[in-house]
Amino acid sequence: MTMVLAICVAVTFGVSIYLMLGRELKGIAMGVFLLGHAANLSIIAMSGSPILHTHGAEASRAPATLEPISEHLDEQRHPLMTGVNIKQPPVLEHHEPMTDPLATIVDPLPQALILTAIVISFGVMAFLLTLLVVTSRRTHTLAIAELAQEPAPEPDGGPAQA
Amino acid sequence: MASEWIVLFAVLAPVAFGLLTLWLPRGWIEPRMVLATAGPAIAFAMLLNTAIDNRSALQAQHDYAEAQASHNDHAHGDEHDNSHAAEDASGHHGHADSPADHHSESVHADADAPAPPTTGVLPWMPSLNINIAFLTDGLGLFFGLLVSGIGTLIMLYARGYFGRAGPTSADDLYRFYPTLGFFTTAMLGVVLADYTLLTLLFWEMTSISSFLLIGWDRYDKKAVKLAMQAFFTTGLGGMGLFGGVLVFGNATGYWRWSEMLTHSDELTAQLQHVGEHPQLLWAFVLMFIGAGTKSAQFPFHYWLPGAMAAPTPVSAFLHSATMVKAGVFLVGRLFPVFAALELFPLVIIPLGAVTMLYGGVVALQQHDLKRIFAFTTVSQLGLLMAMYGVGAIDYHGQPAIDYDVTQIANHALYKAPLFIAAGAIGHVLSRDITQLNGAFYKHPAICGTMMAAALGLAALPGTISFQAKELFLYGVYHGIEAGNVVLWIVLVMTVLTAVCNVAICVRVWTTLLGLPGGMREEHGEPDHGHHHEHAHEHGLLAHLIWLPGALIVSLQFVGGVFPKLAWSRMLGLFEQPATAHNYFASHYGGLPNLTELSIGTPLICSAIAIVLGVIVGLAKPLRGSIGDFADRIYPAMYWLSVTGGGRCFRLIQTGNLKHYLLFVLGALLLGFTWAVQVDLADNDGGMLAALSSDTAGNLFEYWPGILLGLIVCLTAVLIPMTEVRIVRVLFLGACGFAVVGLYLVYQAPDLALTQLMFEIISVILFVIVLRLLPREKLHTIKLGNKAWRLVLSCVVGGVFGWMTLIAASTDRSATNPGKYPLGKTMAQHSYGNKDGLDTAMAGADGPELRGGGGTNVVNVILVDFRGFDTLGEITVLGIAAMGVWSMMPHRRRRDGRTAKPNNTEQPGVTA
Repeated sequence: MTMVLAICVAVTFGVSIYLMLGRELKGIAMGVFLLGHAANLSIIAMSGSPILHTHGAEASRAPATLEPISEHLDEQRHPLMTGVNIKQPPVLEHHEPMTDPLATIVDPLPQALILTAIVISFGVMAFLLTLLVVTSRRTHTLAIAELAQEPAPEPDGGPAQA
Repeated sequence: MASEWIVLFAVLAPVAFGLLTLWLPRGWIEPRMVLATAGPAIAFAMLLNTAIDNRSALQAQHDYAEAQASHNDHAHGDEHDNSHAAEDASGHHGHADSPADHHSESVHADADAPAPPTTGVLPWMPSLNINIAFLTDGLGLFFGLLVSGIGTLIMLYARGYFGRAGPTSADDLYRFYPTLGFFTTAMLGVVLADYTLLTLLFWEMTSISSFLLIGWDRYDKKAVKLAMQAFFTTGLGGMGLFGGVLVFGNATGYWRWSEMLTHSDELTAQLQHVGEHPQLLWAFVLMFIGAGTKSAQFPFHYWLPGAMAAPTPVSAFLHSATMVKAGVFLVGRLFPVFAALELFPLVIIPLGAVTMLYGGVVALQQHDLKRIFAFTTVSQLGLLMAMYGVGAIDYHGQPAIDYDVTQIANHALYKAPLFIAAGAIGHVLSRDITQLNGAFYKHPAICGTMMAAALGLAALPGTISFQAKELFLYGVYHGIEAGNVVLWIVLVMTVLTAVCNVAICVRVWTTLLGLPGGMREEHGEPDHGHHHEHAHEHGLLAHLIWLPGALIVSLQFVGGVFPKLAWSRMLGLFEQPATAHNYFASHYGGLPNLTELSIGTPLICSAIAIVLGVIVGLAKPLRGSIGDFADRIYPAMYWLSVTGGGRCFRLIQTGNLKHYLLFVLGALLLGFTWAVQVDLADNDGGMLAALSSDTAGNLFEYWPGILLGLIVCLTAVLIPMTEVRIVRVLFLGACGFAVVGLYLVYQAPDLALTQLMFEIISVILFVIVLRLLPREKLHTIKLGNKAWRLVLSCVVGGVFGWMTLIAASTDRSATNPGKYPLGKTMAQHSYGNKDGLDTAMAGADGPELRGGGGTNVVNVILVDFRGFDTLGEITVLGIAAMGVWSMMPHRRRRDGRTAKPNNTEQPGVTA
């Protein structure tokens, strides 16, 4: 599963760099947006694969070898798949013993980090889009080459639209 | 020893009272003056009390030790009839093996390495070696009294000075008193702080207050420029001092001046072999840069004449009497230890001597009174520096310094009155000396003060200045006697400087009295002073414009006529113990009376200086008004840093996103390549192993994952391939939804929900924004451009994929016994159930650990464990919202412009 994620990270990252190297602000904004996805995906990859590995040919069939948790797993198999054991989301039954909670649930820390990142990247995007609108209002172009030739705006806000 | 609270209060009193004056209504000038004056006055009283306490404590120790000594050893006891401090000190040397009694030990320490009188410590930032403690030794207290004493009188003088300036005076005083109080506090802090870094802190505060006061006239562009120049120069020196203090603290572990003084033996030994301790050398050089710039040593002296743009009370206080002496003070602080450094006299004497002569010569060629006195200040500061340098030359086998405090005091006692009188005369007549011919008959009090102070400048017999100059000449002469023939040059330079000073004195006298030799206005030179004929004030307050100066200058003559009294009652209280070995003490038992001086080279030098000075003063040549070439140093530096810095900046900050990206990605690729190299060489290629499917997991192990991954990749790749922008946005959205799916696979329902919501809003937002944007022109994109973009993107993308694999496959269990320790701990503490905790975390009898009380671990992390992070996130969101709001078109309508209807439909993106 990590491999899938790594490929996704590679592709989204590549595309976002490609977009950001472009010559037009809209594409750059999309690149920034995509960059957020790429970064988030690479962070969540660090929580390790949610697939519980068992060795050998019976990996797909046999129940997990971990005795204390196998019963939970049996109840909570992933609905889409038979035979693959998947960890549970980081939501606790508070009565259960927790000597090693991460054996049964996925690592919650990367998720918390990403949650923050999502919100912030949304804020950044909103800001960026507004900037885009304002820029196009003032300069009538979003092409970088043309923007570079615009005179620097006056301190009081530049030549306002009539 | 003084309580730290008392000294702290004394230090803070001026600024506290200065701020208190802000509560008074603007018109209340007299109460304001009284309140502002109270600050330094109280500080003065408290410091004086501390000084007397210290003195009596020292005396008590002394007496006790004498009693002990005579009790234990009668043969030595006889020596104590001699009251000379020098022999006292050497007498105590003999009792190293007297009973190891508390007191005699401390006295013994006093003779060898004096235990400096420090106050207690108020902890402030102990981990950074900054605490509040004060060193109330002679040097510090002397400076403290000088600052607070002159400060008191300057507060009064300011009333006289601004009081006549017309309708703005109330406003001026309103601003002036708090600023001056701030400076007084900063300066007191510099001289009294024990922690080196605390001294530095106050040191910078003096630079800031000096800046504020030089640029007092905020609308005078020139003054502001000069203020910048002073600030820049002394600020640079402050950096030097900072570096020096850090290097010194690092090398020795001493962060207090008192520690430095008590361990002077050890440090002296190290400094004598400084080759093995290069850090100490650096510390000295850096600290001296700080001292040299602050004390206006050549070639950094230019800021001081420039600082004369300040109102005269400021010039008299900061730029002659106190702040510029901070550098001298610092050298005096370092002297007991760093005098052992061979470099010490070699650096300080030449610099000081050159500054001294240069200042004197340039002063001769000025016409503005304030500039004349400013250059003589530069000259005198050079002399004070050179004095410490000369003191470091071994005399009778020991570095010795003759009455450093006396010489410093002497300068303050005539220079402050000179400035006070110059400011006063500038207010009533003019500051240009050529226009003051015969001014004495119009303003006898002001001119009388100036003329009396000028006698001190000329160091004529009868002033304490004369003794001070003699002291310096003796010091140089003894250096020559000790075999340093080069010092003849310094002696000659001193005499020449004295000639300049005498000449200026003669000019002031002849001009003010209207005598034939005086300066006259020649062919209508432009007047630099502002000579408005102010309305005369009457009453006692009117005299405040010269009375403080007269008070200060009278001390000159008291000290000059009764030097023994001055030494034993005033200045002797503060002399450093090193002075116990000086020449005057052993010959005259203090400062010599005039009649006691024996005829020798120094006295002859003084006589020569006076005679030549009178000739030069009366002679016509050398009266032109020329500038100071060093005035160009700062503009050159300014040009270099601003223009040159701007060019460098534009070289790196091109403003082109492409360049930034290339920099960042290039650094990434380089770093990664290097990491792979290192990994292959040292670590058996663990990074390469991350690529194998063993650790990365089977690609095909879970088909929903493959499906979602495919969608993510496909939509992402399609975005740049389509030209229709709405379709691109839809692809972007589709990619985002597939990412939501991946979150689900990774068992992150919170992420999936949040991302889903924001993804929907984002797509809608993007579409709306697209509608507001102009239609883009069809670009003809060159293929070459596309090709390198493609290559770079592929490489970087591949590297990131690889890095993800490495990060995900790191075997954390190998380095940490508990796998994923942080996430595990957080999961365990999320609800706070004690049962499952490791025994180490909750001991059998420990308190029940309470967690976040929630079962959703991610939520608990966000609001509890990383609550401040979340607060920061909210702040970022708030800032973004404000930015969006401020840019939104509806704001324009307030300007009376009508926005287009569709402009106002910017959606509330931040809701």
